[in-house]
Parts: sequence; C-alpha cells; structure tokens
Amino acid sequence: MRFFSTGLFRGLVAQVAGSVVGMAFVMAARVLMGEPAWSREPVIVGGMIIGALAFLVGVGSFNDWFKWARGKQVSDEITVDPNKPSWMRYFSVDYDHKVIGIQYGVVSMLLLLFGGTFAMFFRTELATAGIDFLNNEIFKVLLGYEPGPVGLLSGGAMMPNPEHFFNSLMSLHGIVMIAGILLGVGAMSNYLVPMLIGANDMAFPRLNSFAFWVNVPGALILLSSLLFGGFDTGWVGYPPLALRAPLGMQMFLFGVYLIGISSIAGAINVIVTILTMRAKGMTMMKMPIFAWAALATAVLQFSATQLIGLTFQLVMLERLLGMPFFDATAGGDPILYQHLFWFYSHPAVYVFILPGLGIISELLPVFARKPLYGYKWVAFSSFGIALISFFVWAHHMFVSGMSPYLRIPFMYSTLLVAVPTGVKFFSWAGTLWQGKIKLATPMLFVLGSIIIFLLGGVTGPPAATISTDLHIHDTYFVVGHFHDTMFGGFIFPIIAAIYYWFPKMTGRMYSERLGKWHFWLMFPAFMLLSNGMLLLGLQGMRRRVVAYDADLGFGPLHVALTIAGFVIFFSMILFAINIIRSARKGPEAKDNVWDSRSPEWQIASPAPLHNYAQPFEVVGEPYDYGLQNSPYVNMTPAGGSATASH
Amino acid sequence: MTEPQASSGHHAPAGASYATRLARNRLGLWLFVVSDAFVFVGLFIARMVLLGPNRPELLQGLGLAVTAMLLVSSFFMNRAEVEMAHGNRPAFLRNIMVTLVLGTIFLVGVVGVEWQLAPFGPSDGAEGAVFYSMTGFHAFHVFTGLILLFVVWNNGRRGLYTAEQHWGVEAAAIYWHFIDVVWMFFYVGLYLMGTPA
Amino acid sequence: MIHLVIVAFLVVASTIGVGLFLTNYPLLPLQASEQAVNIDGLFDIHWWFIAFFFSLITVFVVYSVIVFRRKPGERGDGVYMHGNTRLEIVWTIVPIAIVLWLAVIGADSLATVERRDPEAITVDVFAAQWNWRFQYSVEVEGGTVAAVVSDTLVLPKNQQVLLRLHSDDVIHSFYVPEFRVKQDVLPGGEEFTRELRITPNLEGTFKVRCAEICGQLHWDMQAEIQVVDRSEFLSWLQEQAGDCELSPEECGQRWATQFGCLACHSLDGTVVIGPSWQGLYGSSEELSDGSTITVDDAYLHESIVDPNAKIVQGFSAGVMPQTFAGILTEEQIQQIIAFIASLQ
Ligand code: HEA
Ligand code: HEA
Ligand code: HEC
Ligand code: CUA
Ligand SMILES: [Cu+2]
Repeated sequence: MRFFSTGLFRGLVAQVAGSVVGMAFVMAARVLMGEPAWSREPVIVGGMIIGALAFLVGVGSFNDWFKWARGKQVSDEITVDPNKPSWMRYFSVDYDHKVIGIQYGVVSMLLLLFGGTFAMFFRTELATAGIDFLNNEIFKVLLGYEPGPVGLLSGGAMMPNPEHFFNSLMSLHGIVMIAGILLGVGAMSNYLVPMLIGANDMAFPRLNSFAFWVNVPGALILLSSLLFGGFDTGWVGYPPLALRAPLGMQMFLFGVYLIGISSIAGAINVIVTILTMRAKGMTMMKMPIFAWAALATAVLQFSATQLIGLTFQLVMLERLLGMPFFDATAGGDPILYQHLFWFYSHPAVYVFILPGLGIISELLPVFARKPLYGYKWVAFSSFGIALISFFVWAHHMFVSGMSPYLRIPFMYSTLLVAVPTGVKFFSWAGTLWQGKIKLATPMLFVLGSIIIFLLGGVTGPPAATISTDLHIHDTYFVVGHFHDTMFGGFIFPIIAAIYYWFPKMTGRMYSERLGKWHFWLMFPAFMLLSNGMLLLGLQGMRRRVVAYDADLGFGPLHVALTIAGFVIFFSMILFAINIIRSARKGPEAKDNVWDSRSPEWQIASPAPLHNYAQPFEVVGEPYDYGLQNSPYVNMTPAGGSATASH
Repeated sequence: MTEPQASSGHHAPAGASYATRLARNRLGLWLFVVSDAFVFVGLFIARMVLLGPNRPELLQGLGLAVTAMLLVSSFFMNRAEVEMAHGNRPAFLRNIMVTLVLGTIFLVGVVGVEWQLAPFGPSDGAEGAVFYSMTGFHAFHVFTGLILLFVVWNNGRRGLYTAEQHWGVEAAAIYWHFIDVVWMFFYVGLYLMGTPA
Repeated sequence: MIHLVIVAFLVVASTIGVGLFLTNYPLLPLQASEQAVNIDGLFDIHWWFIAFFFSLITVFVVYSVIVFRRKPGERGDGVYMHGNTRLEIVWTIVPIAIVLWLAVIGADSLATVERRDPEAITVDVFAAQWNWRFQYSVEVEGGTVAAVVSDTLVLPKNQQVLLRLHSDDVIHSFYVPEFRVKQDVLPGGEEFTRELRITPNLEGTFKVRCAEICGQLHWDMQAEIQVVDRSEFLSWLQEQAGDCELSPEECGQRWATQFGCLACHSLDGTVVIGPSWQGLYGSSEELSDGSTITVDDAYLHESIVDPNAKIVQGFSAGVMPQTFAGILTEEQIQQIIAFIASLQ
C-alpha cells in the first residue's frame, strides 16, 4: 500500500510511539521525584504533548530545519516525483501553496462533518423537553456497553451520564466547528493569496507546511477529548468549572493550542507574502479585494491568538500543578480568565468572517458584471473592523461580574463595529444595483451569505447594549446571532468559494443542478434554524441545557429546529457528493469559467505547478467590468524581467 | 518558528535575490517578535491583576545578578553580530560563546537557584502561580534562544556565514535581544515593583 | 431613477411591516419587574432599527436580483460605475450617529435598570452545584437578627430587592426571564460577591434558572420564586424566623429541603446524584477504597461536614459541596441525622 509511505502515516505512527514515550517519561520523572508513577492526568498529558511533537517530526515538517541546523544546504526547489501518484502529495509534507490550501480545506471539511454530526446528536435530544435520546440506550449503541466505571483511558467514567454526554457533545460541536473555520480560513488564504497577487508561492513555504501539519495532531487531540471523559464547559472553558472537568478538558486545551500555533505561523506568512510578493504594478489599492481581507485577518490572527495560547496553557498548568491563576478560593481570579479568553476570542470571530466577506466582495463583481462599488472603502473597512475588534472583547462579559463601570465603554466600542460592517453591506448593494446578475451556484451562495450575515449583524446591537443583553446573554438569542454570523460570514462564503474555484482546483466543472438543490435546501432550512433560535432565546430559552421545562411551550419550535438542522446536514452531504464526484468525473472546465478579470483565471485550469510561468504586470483596475479594453493584468509583459517580485 | 534560512520564490525562474529574501525574513521575524510579545504582555497583565501592589519575596541579590548577566550577554551578542558583519569570524565566535555562557548562567540562576530557594512553590497562592509562570515562560524562551545560539555558533564555526550573508546570526541576535528586553520588564514586575507581601 | 423610487417605497413598506410585527408579536416572556419595563422599551427601539436596516439591504438585494437579473441570451456587462464618495461618507456618518445614539440611550437605560433604592431589602443568594439557597436576615422580637434560609425565593411586590450573590463552587448565573435581568454568581468569597437589583411588579410564581453552564445538572439548577403582597411577605418571614419548634426529625426534613440536600439525595431509594437516604441509617456500605462501614451517627456527621473523607462506592469525590460545615449549625446537623435515621 502506497499509503504507508506517506508522511501522514509516518506521522501517525510517530504520534502513537511518541505518546507512549512521553507517558513513560513523565512516569519516570515522577518516580525520581518520589511520587507514585501512575497519575492519570499528568502522565496522559505528557504523552499527548510528546506525541504531538513526534507527529510533526514523523511527518517531516522539521526535516529541512534540522538539516539547516546541522549546517546543510536545503533546496528551495519543489521537486515532484513523477513516479508517485499525485494524490500522495496531499498526504505528505509539500511546499506548494495550492496543495497546502487543499490540505487545509479537506481537514476543515472533515472537522465540519464531525461538528455537524455532534450537532445532529444533541439536536435530536433537544427536540423533546426531557432527556429522551441521549440516555443509556444510546450509550450502549455508541460505545457497545453501558457507561460505568471502566478502563485505563477513562479512569472511572467514560461518559458518566446523559447530561454530561450532552454537554460534551455541545462543547465539542462549538470548538470543532470553530477549528473547522480556522482551517477553512487557512485554506482560502493559502490557496488564493499567492495566486491573486501574482506570486508562485508563499513567502515561507516550510513554515506554511508546518502551519498546516500542526493542525493534524491538534484536531486529533481535540476530538480524542470524547474518549477521555469529554468536557462540559462549553467552548469557552471558563474556570473554575474547567478545573473540575474530566481529563478531556486537557485535550480541548492542548488541541486548541496547537491549532492556535497554526494560526500564528500561517498569519505571519500571509502578511509577509502580501506585503513583499505582489506582482509588478500591483499597488495595495490594486490588489484583488480578498487580499485585503486576508491581510486584515492575518493581523488579528498573529497577535491576538497568542493570548488564547497563553491562557489555555495557564489552565493546563493550574490543573496539572495546582498553580492558582483562576481559582478564587486559592488566590486566583476567574474574571481574569474571561478577559484573556475574550481578548482573543472576540477578534477571532472577525477572523472567521473577514475572509468570507472578502469572498463576497470578490465574487459579486464577477457575477454582477460591474466594478466593486467603493473598492477603497471596502478595503479599509476590513481594517476598521479588525482594529475596533481589539477593543470590544468585554461585551461577552456584561453579566460576568467584571467592574461595572467598564461596561459602558465596551458598549460604545461594540456598537461602533456596526459602522465599517455597514459600509460593506452598502457597497455590496451598490455593486448589485444595475448589474447584469448571473445566478450561478456560487452567486446564489454569495447572495445567501449577504442576507444571513445581515441578520447576524443586526442581532448584534441588542446584545451590545448592556441592559438588553442582561436578558439575552446566555440564551438562544446569542446562539442564533452567532450561527447567523458564522454561516453568513463563513459557511456560505466558503461554499461559494469552493464552487467558484472548483474548476481552477480540479480542471473540472461541478454539477450546477446539484449545486442549486444544495442552495435551495440549505438556505430556507438555515433561515428557519436561526430565526427559531433567536425567537426561543428572546422567550428565555437558556443555552447549554440538555432539557427544558415542557410547560414553557418551546417544544414545537425545537422540533422544527431539529428538522431544519437535519436538512442542512443533508444538503451538505449533497455538496460533498457533488464535489467528490465532479472532481473525478465532471466535464472538463474552460480556463476562464466565469469570465473573470482576475489573474488566476488567465492561466490554465487546473492551475499549473508553478502558477505563473512568467511574471505578469498589473496594468489596470481589478474590477473594471463594463469598461471596454481595460485589462487588469498583462500576462505577457514585453521583456518580462526575471524577478517574480520586487 | 521563523524561517532563518532564506527560502522563497523558489520556483520563480531565477529565484529571489538574497536581498529580497533577507527583507522577507526580517519582516517575518519581526512579526514573530511582535506576536510573541503578546504572550509576555498577557503574563504581565496576569501579574498585575493577581498581585496588584504586592510582589513575591525573592532574593534581590540573585535577581540583580542574573539580570546583569542577561544584559551583558546582549552586549556580547551585539558584538558578535557586528564582528560577523565585518567578516571577523574568530571574534564573532568568541563573542557568541560568551553570550552562550552568560545565557546559560542566567538560566541556571533562575531555574536552578531561584526556583529552589523561593519560599513558595508553584501551587502556593497567586504569588507562586505568577512567579513560576513568568519566569518559566521566559526561561523556556531563553532555552530556545540558547539552542539557536548554539546552532549559529556551530554553523559559524563551519564557515557558513560571510560578512555579506549572515541572516542566521542576525536572527539569533534579534531573538536574543527580544528575550532580554522582555526580562527587563519582568525583572521590574517581579523584583522591584510594589512591596513584598 | 424609477427603480430608486420603487425601492424606496418598498423599503418603507417593509420597514413598517417588519417593525410592526417585531414590536407587536409577543417575542418576550411575561413582564414582571420594573427593570423589565425599561428593558422592553429599549428592545422596541432596537426592533425598529433592525426592521429598517434589514429591509434596506434585503430590498435592495432582492430587487436587484429580480430586476437586474441577466435575461436568457443577454450579453454584456452592467453599468460601469465605481462608487460615489459623497454617498460613502453619508453611509458612514449616519450609522455612526445612530450607534452613538443607541449607546447613549443604552447607558441611560442601564442607569435606570440599576437604580438603587435605599429601602431595598437584602437577600443573600447562595448558588452551588446544582441548587439555590436564599438567606434573609430578620429582626425578631428583642432586636436579635435571625437568618432565615429558604429554598424558595419569596419577594414582596413593588419593593426593590438587593440580591447578594455567592457561589460555593463554580460560576453560576442568576436569571429570571420574566424579570429580564441576570448576573453571574462567582465563587471566591466576599471579594467576589456580586449584586443584582430587582423590583418585581407582578404577583405570581416564577423560576430562577441558572444561565451559566456549571456542569452536569446545570439544566436543572432552578428554584421557585414567589412574588407576593408585602404583608404576606412579612408574615411569611416571621413564620420562617421562628425557631424550628417541630420534632427533630421534622426539623431535619425542613433543613434538608432548605439547604438543597434533597436535590441530590432522594428519600425513595432512587439514585439522583448522591446515594439515597432511604434505609441508609444502620445499613452497611462499601466505600470506594473497598472497605465496608456501618452507617451510624458519627459517619453521617462526617459525611456531611467533610464529604470527601469517605466516598461511597460508585460515586465520585468532590460532587457533594464541601461547605456545609460552615453553613449548618451543629443542631441542624443533628436534626438532619435524626431525619435520615427516621427514613427506614
Ligand atoms: C462570526 C462571527 C461574529 C460576528 C461577525 C459578530 C458580530 C457582532 N457581534 Fe457577535 N458573537 C459571535 C460571533 C460573531 N459576532 C459569537 C460566536 C458569540 C458568542 C460567543 C459565546 O458566548 O459562545 C457572539 C456574541 C456576541 C455578544 C455577546 C452576547 C452575550 O453573550 O451576551 C455581543 C454583545 O455585544 C455581540 C455583538 C456583536 C456585534 C455588535 C457584532 C457586529 O460586528 C455586527 C455588525 C453588523 C451589523 C450591525 C449589520 C450591518 C450594518 C449595517 C446595515 C449598518 C447599520 C447598522 C446599524 C446602525 C445598527 N456578539
Ligand atoms: C461554524 C460554526 C458552526 C456551525 C456550522 C454550526 C452548525 C450547527 N449548529 Fe452550532 N454552534 C456553534 C458553531 C456552529 N454550529 C458554536 C460555536 C456553538 C456554541 C457552543 C457552546 O455553547 O459552547 C454552537 C452551539 C449550537 C447550539 C446550542 C447548544 C446549546 O447551547 O445547548 C445548537 C442548538 O441547536 C446548535 C445547532 C447547530 C446545528 C443544527 C447546526 C447545523 O447547521 C449543522 C449542519 C452541519 C454542517 C453545516 C456540516 C456538514 C458538513 C459536511 C457534511 C461535510 C461536507 C464535506 C465535504 C464538502 C467534503 N449549535
Ligand atoms: C450536589 C449534590 C449533593 C448535595 C447538594 C448534597 N449531597 Fe450529600 N452526597 C452527594 C454525593 C455525590 C455523595 C456520595 C459521595 C460521598 O460519599 O461523598 C453524597 C454523600 C452523602 C452522605 C453519605 C451517604 C452514604 O450513603 O454514605 C451523606 C450523609 C450526605 N451526603 C448528606 C448530605 C446532606 C446533609 C446534604 C445537605 C445539607 C447533602 N448531602 C447535600 C451529593 C450531594
Ligand atoms: Cu449553575 Cu448552571
Ligand atoms: Cu464578541
């Protein structure tokens, strides 16, 4: 089997071996310190950390760096072994940004599949008021035995009871989806940024591939949480509950930490690439708009992410060594955790959406056949959002018991975010106005994004004014708000992006018919899901509860939400079928499927190994649709110089 | 986590020039430094929130001594880089060796001595938590810095750097100065600010 | 131009339609406090802005898609236009003005909602996994202050109550949808005690529900609230303040209810979270370390004041709150033991 010679396989073997070594190491250290060798949490956490490192060594991420440290020259050339089937590139360390982009994308989709599956489980439970589905019967089906005191891994309780199982599924749903988003963002910036700006690769290809591969052990560890008792804190992991949660908490913390490292490394790469590797003549104001979005995203990622990394390490340390950072009874401060957490996690929500909004702005002109309305304003609004988003984090803490007077400035700053976001909406409306709108599948999803994200956006201000938030906080209103923003700002746009660039990635067309089905199932179902959530929340439905009082009258709506959830899931399966089948059997695509002006559509489909055989020159505006004889790029500039960049 | 090795534009026809790659590497490293600084700012904020006007009871003499070591080491690191830029390899190697030794003394001073002598353990209240986490995170950076210095010293010994091309040396120097600057803040935060509890 | 007129008309129509729907449909639960009156007013303002902006964008988008849609066989591009700086400035400035105004009225509303009434009565609220306990201080004849502990929050109508929120273990959140307000309850003693002010204005029975995930039974962490007439409230309080003059067993039952023991311990043999108390006294039990003990007064006493000292087989340490030693008086503990002993 060829698979056994891939980097992925070597990495997985190394991770298992590394975990064992790490566990042995911790046990040896404990014996040396005169303690009993076995203590479940430190030993398993030690194994987990060493295992993750071993994965990276095994997969080959460090190879060139090790060579460099030993003083050897490393080659900058991408070598593609013609004797190996091309799929193998995707399972090993590869420095081509297109390969890395697709690697990110596939893992992202897999995570969404996991997250979605978790949602189906707990959504089914929520269809009824009591605890009727996630009971011991389902454990027997899922685990093969009834939960009870068992096993080395679980140390007493796999999933002690239905409530805890629900809480763990719900928390994992949240964080796995978010991890999926972060990888999806990586997919978009890696695949698109170099091509859009006329570069042949990212600035630091090794770092780029490392940033992808570190996600793999990260995702595995995150998902393994379920085997170690899960964690019942929600995706926010507030201590002191997080200090008492089962061992699965550590998997959550460390898995997210690894994914955070990926964000940081990837973001640095994106910034350097955009700032230094643009094609000749491509000033900042002539970049395709997605590059602006990617840049703003990267600025958020490379800075704020460090704080969640730090915070999660502090919680890990508190659990392992009893260092009382956040436990108030021992001198710590639980509010401090929330500040540190949201200082990252609020900007993070804009990390989720800025690339998606960039996709919307990128695709609208192509399908409306009109210039992007107010390019400059759209570009700067991404930075406006990014900048303001650093100063709004405490709007998640209006009822947390932080200093009461601090809430007012955060209300002001939060409401201000509406302004640059509004600029985008108005520009989109302006772009559509008097266009010649083509309703291909990507465009449908773009239009869906706009409506859904709008709904998510306008439900922000009631949460941002403190006294209304006193009611809304921790209810389904917030759940509705953020499903709207994340679907409108990420899920729908990335689906649009996948349909749109599918021919560029594979050289084949997807099925329009299935694509339309996908949209017309998903969009109404999602409208029902999110509006239902908003309504339930206003009526007082709390978040993160496995059961609710039957006499509150929430029942029928919850049933509808569950059905809507299943429809969304089903439509996504159609999507998966569409792209998997079309990638192999779809009709061959033209080079410039959408009549786009963008440089990546001026080259062959699928994009060749070295994107641009010859550096091109930017001679016009990116979105001058409707203006005759005004090319954006000149693909064969006379006397094309040898430097890819300047 | 930066890429000290010049390494980009690798399938552009003629490859990017050394100067281009150097510019990219510099930008990348500085971005990393800014990014990493957030960790330390976060730790410092945690210290302010948890300890406020108090400070842990530590050995002032030892603190001053290790701080001086680290400061002086930064001076020698600078010398090493300048010597390399002048193409004076033996002087470069000497200076970087001194940096390595001083850095190691610092690490031993903090982790080997101060940690053992401190009148509290990591789980003894907020002081313990703050002190061990701040020094621990910093010590980890010093440790990685030492590895980097050793690698650079070793590669320098083999003559891999020239007066014109020594990005590795420069990268190690930037990182080392960064660690040093961070410690200046941490020293103030742990040893000087406020009153011992 | 005609397009713009039509769209403007549609936007207005849609705004009015959506706005009227949002402000008239009963989106929010019963309104049962003065704070709720103010907050609901603010909601209404928000609904109108939401109606307007949602209509504005949606109408433009949907109208464009329908009217400017490419007809079959049509070729060519849309109208070439790049933008309009004046328009961009307008749609930056106008939203800025609106959000600033929203913030100002938001701050104003907050001030009203949190207005302090010096006459407010104080109730200490203790949250623990997974129950609520409410403690009143009452002056009984002779000027001594007695603590009344209850598992129901009884409040007088039209009187501000100041809730002082304490948690024994993790973060909880005090939330009553009908009162519209919530506040997290933090562990960590006096320094972390938080306050919440409510002025109920409707008699009736409500429920406080924990709104911050706090573990396994978070969903079921609820307690009853009764808003009653002021005189009724006072007589209830006096009644509770009287010493427990019942038999020790009956008093024990009262404490077991009030202090939330029965949230975890059943009296009928079923296992809720902790072992059932039925037939417990005098039985012999296996502990998690494998030893067997006979349940007697001393063991029960220890199990209450230091639950982690001995863990019953099949249960986990750390689940039962370890704070009862400081909450229950010695007499109350003895009465609870008497009550348990009576459950044969
Ligand atoms: C994916 C991304 C995303 C995005 C883009 C947003 C965008 C916004 N969010 Fe949201 N939010 C989340 C994801 C997101 N959020 C998540 C995940 C949570 C919950 C976390 C948890 O607890 O688990 C949350 C929670 C959350 C809270 C805390 C609620 C609570 O727990 O009590 C608040 C409070 O202020 C808030 C506010 C806002 C605001 C004001 C915006 C603004 O950016 C919206 C701006 C957009 C518009 C307003 C629409 C378009 C504008 C116009 C048409 C112009 C004119 C408009 C006006 C003048 C109003 N969000
Ligand atoms: C991107 C983020 C994202 C997405 C897509 C979803 C999708 C869904 N969520 Fe989400 N949800 C969150 C993020 C997300 N959620 C977060 C952060 C929380 C908070 C957690 C917390 O409180 O801590 C939450 C909480 C949450 C709750 C509240 C739980 C509670 O408080 O108790 C509910 C309840 O109904 C819910 C329902 C759903 C449903 C039915 C879907 C459905 O739409 C799911 C449908 C499935 C998919 C969209 C994926 C399908 C993918 C595939 C089939 C793969 C395709 C493969 C290829 C193309 C190759 N979610
Ligand atoms: C949050 C849940 C919870 C609450 C509230 C609670 N207990 Fe418990 N209790 C437990 C659990 C779990 C155990 C079993 C573990 C152990 O032995 O500590 C237990 C054990 C006991 C035992 C020993 C039972 C046996 O079978 O040996 C006694 C006695 C007891 N509790 C009394 C009380 C009293 C009195 C109160 C209230 C004042 C109370 N408990 C409140 C969870 C709770
Ligand atoms: Cu207490 Cu949730
Ligand atoms: Cu936020």
